[in-house]
Amino acid sequence: MPGPVTRRDLLAKLGVTAAATFGASAAGFGVAGIAHAQDKAKGNIPDKPFRIGHMTFFTGPGAVLGEPMYKGNLLAADEINSHGGLLGKRKIEVLKADEAAGTDANVKEMRRLKLSEKIDMFMGITSSGNTPALGPAAEELKLLTIFIDGCTDFLFDKAVPNPRYVFRVTNIQSADGSTCAVAVAQTWPDVKKVAHIHPDYAYGRNCYDHFSIVTKKLIPGAQNVSEAWPKLFSTDFTPHITKTLAAKPDLLVTSVWGGDYVAFYKQALQHGLFDKMKVATTLALGVAPHAIGKDHPENVLAGVHANYHFSYPPGNRWPLNKSFVEKYKAKFNEYPNFQAEGAYTATYILKTAVEKANKLSGGWPDDDAIISQIEGMMFAGPGGYVYIRPDNHQGYKDAITGFSKNTPEYPFPILDPARIITIPIRNITAPPGWPKGEPTSTYTWIDQTWPTVKHA
Amino acid sequence: MDTFVIHVFNALLYASVLFLIAGGLSLIYGVMRIVNLAHGNLYAFGAYVTAWAVGQWLAGAPTVVLYLLLPIGAVAAAILGAVLEPTLLRPFYRRAEEYQLLVTFGLLMILEDLMRFFWGPYPLTATTLFEKMGSVKIGDSIYPRYNLLVVLVGGLAAAALWGFIYRTRFGVVLRATSQDMRRAAAMGVNVNRVYIEAFTIGCFMAGLGGAIVVPGQSAVLGMGVDALVLAFVVVVIGGLGSLQGALVGALIVGIVREIGVSTFPEVELAVLYLIAVIVLLVRPAGLFGRAA
Repeated sequence: MPGPVTRRDLLAKLGVTAAATFGASAAGFGVAGIAHAQDKAKGNIPDKPFRIGHMTFFTGPGAVLGEPMYKGNLLAADEINSHGGLLGKRKIEVLKADEAAGTDANVKEMRRLKLSEKIDMFMGITSSGNTPALGPAAEELKLLTIFIDGCTDFLFDKAVPNPRYVFRVTNIQSADGSTCAVAVAQTWPDVKKVAHIHPDYAYGRNCYDHFSIVTKKLIPGAQNVSEAWPKLFSTDFTPHITKTLAAKPDLLVTSVWGGDYVAFYKQALQHGLFDKMKVATTLALGVAPHAIGKDHPENVLAGVHANYHFSYPPGNRWPLNKSFVEKYKAKFNEYPNFQAEGAYTATYILKTAVEKANKLSGGWPDDDAIISQIEGMMFAGPGGYVYIRPDNHQGYKDAITGFSKNTPEYPFPILDPARIITIPIRNITAPPGWPKGEPTSTYTWIDQTWPTVKHA
Repeated sequence: MDTFVIHVFNALLYASVLFLIAGGLSLIYGVMRIVNLAHGNLYAFGAYVTAWAVGQWLAGAPTVVLYLLLPIGAVAAAILGAVLEPTLLRPFYRRAEEYQLLVTFGLLMILEDLMRFFWGPYPLTATTLFEKMGSVKIGDSIYPRYNLLVVLVGGLAAAALWGFIYRTRFGVVLRATSQDMRRAAAMGVNVNRVYIEAFTIGCFMAGLGGAIVVPGQSAVLGMGVDALVLAFVVVVIGGLGSLQGALVGALIVGIVREIGVSTFPEVELAVLYLIAVIVLLVRPAGLFGRAA
C-alpha cells in the first residue's frame, strides 16, 4: 500500500463500527433463520430418531463452558422436537460425551458413537486441543460434524485443510486477539506501555501473538513492558499483578477467562490495578456473564471471545436474540453465553439444511445433500448473521467486543449498549488461498499486507 | 523497596497455603504410610464448603458471622476424613500400595464429581471476606489485608502443629506409631484410633487451606488436582513424611515461584518442577526425608 496511512483510514478500511450499526454484512444473501412454520416435508420421512453425539466438558474446570454449550443444543432440540422433530418426523436425541477424557479417548469415543451408537451427527467441543484430532477422525468416519468451539486457526489451516464433513460455527481464535487490539487502537490510540497476562496454553499464546501483530500495525508507538504467563485454571494472580504494577504500564491486556478471570479481577481490585491502568480483555464477559459481580469496574474492554454477548443485538432490533435469551433463561435459570448461542445456532443450521435439501429431492436427504446446503448458508441466529464459508467450512460472523457497564436491569455488568464494537470477520482473518503460515495464516497475512499507520 | 516487600508477602502467601496442603499430606504419609491422592480434593472440598456457606447459605449475615464461618470448610473436610478413613482406607492397609493408590485416586475423582453435582460447574466465591478487609498501604502501592491474614493463619497452623506433635502426649503416641507401628501397638497404643486422628488432622489442614484460599480466589472444579500436584512438588523437595520438610519445601516453592513469575515469566510452570528434579537427583529422599 503506497503512501503513509493514518490510523483512521485503516480502521475505516477494516470496517470497524463503534456504535451498533448492525446487520450490514448480510446484504445480498438469501438469509435462512429460526422458523417453525415449515412447508410439509416432501416424500417419505422415517420416524427414526436423529441422534446427535454431543461432546463437551461436563467435568473439570472446562465445564463452565461445556454446560452452556450442551444446554444450547438441548434447547434447540426440545423446540424442534415439540414441532414433531426434523421434517416433522425425526425427533432429535442428544447423546452426551465428556470431553474431559483427553484427546485420544475423545477420538475413540467419537468412533464408538458413530460405530456403536450409530449417531447421525457429531456436535460440540470446547478445547482447541481437541478439534485438530477430532476433525480428521470425523472426515475418516464420514461423520457430519459441526464443532461449536475448539476455535484454533490450526483446524482449517492445517489439520483439515479441505473439509468435507466438518464445519465450525463460532469465530476463529485469532479474531480474539485481533479484535481486542483493533478496539484498543480505536479507543485508546495513545497507549505507550503495554503489559500482558495470559494463561500459558494455546489460547493465551494465540491472543498474545495476534494482539501484538495488530498493535504493531495500528499503534506502532506501543511497547511491551511486562509479560506474565500464569497456568491455566490457576486462581492465584498475586505475583502476576505485582509484576504488572511494578512495570507501570498504560494498558494491561489479558486473555484470562472463566473462574480464573473472576479470581483475577477480585485480586486486581484489592491491588488497585484498575485505577492505575486501562484494561483490555478478550474473554472477560464471555464465559459466564452472570459470574462477574457488580464490583467489576466499568469501561474495561470486556471481550466475549469475539462472538456473542446475550445483550447484543438488542431485543428491539433483533427479536431472535430476545426470544432466545428469554427461553434459555426460563429453562435453565441463567443467561446464555457464546457457547450456548453457538450450539443453538448450529442445531438450527442443521434443521434448515435438512429442510432445504428435502425440498430439492424429497425424502430424508443424505449427508451430501445436507452438507451442500450448509455450505454457503447465511443464517440468522440469536447473535446475528453467520455465514458458513463453502471452502473452509468456517462460520463467519462479525467479531464483537465492548465495554463493561453496570445497568439496573441486571445484577452483573453487561456490554455498554451504546459502545459495542463490531468488525466484519473477513477483514481480520486471512482470505481463502492465503499460504499457510506460522503461527497462523492470519498472523502472516496481517504482518505482510497491513500497512503500518504513520499518525492518527 | 515497596515492590520488594510485596514480593515477600506474595511468596509467604503462597507458601502458607502450600504448607497447609502439603503438611497434611506429609503428616498422613508419615503416620500411616499412605499416599493419599484424594488429598487435593479434600482441599477443594474445604474451599467449596466455605464458599457455599459464606457466599450462598448465609450470604446476608453480619460480617463477623461470616468471618467466624471461615473455618467451616476445614471442619467439613475433617469430618469427611473421619468418615473416609475407617470405611474406605482401613480395609486396604494390609494390601499392596497399588491398591491404596487406586482407592485414593478413585476417591479423588468421585469427590470432584460430587462437588460438581452439588455446586455446579460455575466458580463459587466468598469474596465478601476478601473485600471487607480492604487494602493496606505499602509505600506507593496497596496490598490486600486479607492476604496478610492468610500468611498469619499459615504461620499459626505450622506453630500449632509443631506444638501438638512435639509438646503433647498425643504427639508422642503419634510419633511412636509413625516410627514403628507394630511396637507401638504392642505397647498398648490403639493404632486404629491414632490413624483416624492423624487422617482427620491431615484433612483438617487441607480443608483449612481451601477455606482460607477461597475468599481471595474462588472455588473452581479442578483446583484439587492442581493443589495435589503442587503439594507433591513440595513434599518431594522437603521429603515425604516430614513436617519440617513440608514447611521448608513450601517456602522454597513460594519464593522460587515469585522470582520465576517476575523474572522468567515464560518458564513459570517449569521452574517448580526443575527444583524438584534437582532435589531428587541430589537428595532422592528430599531435604528432610528419611532414606527408605
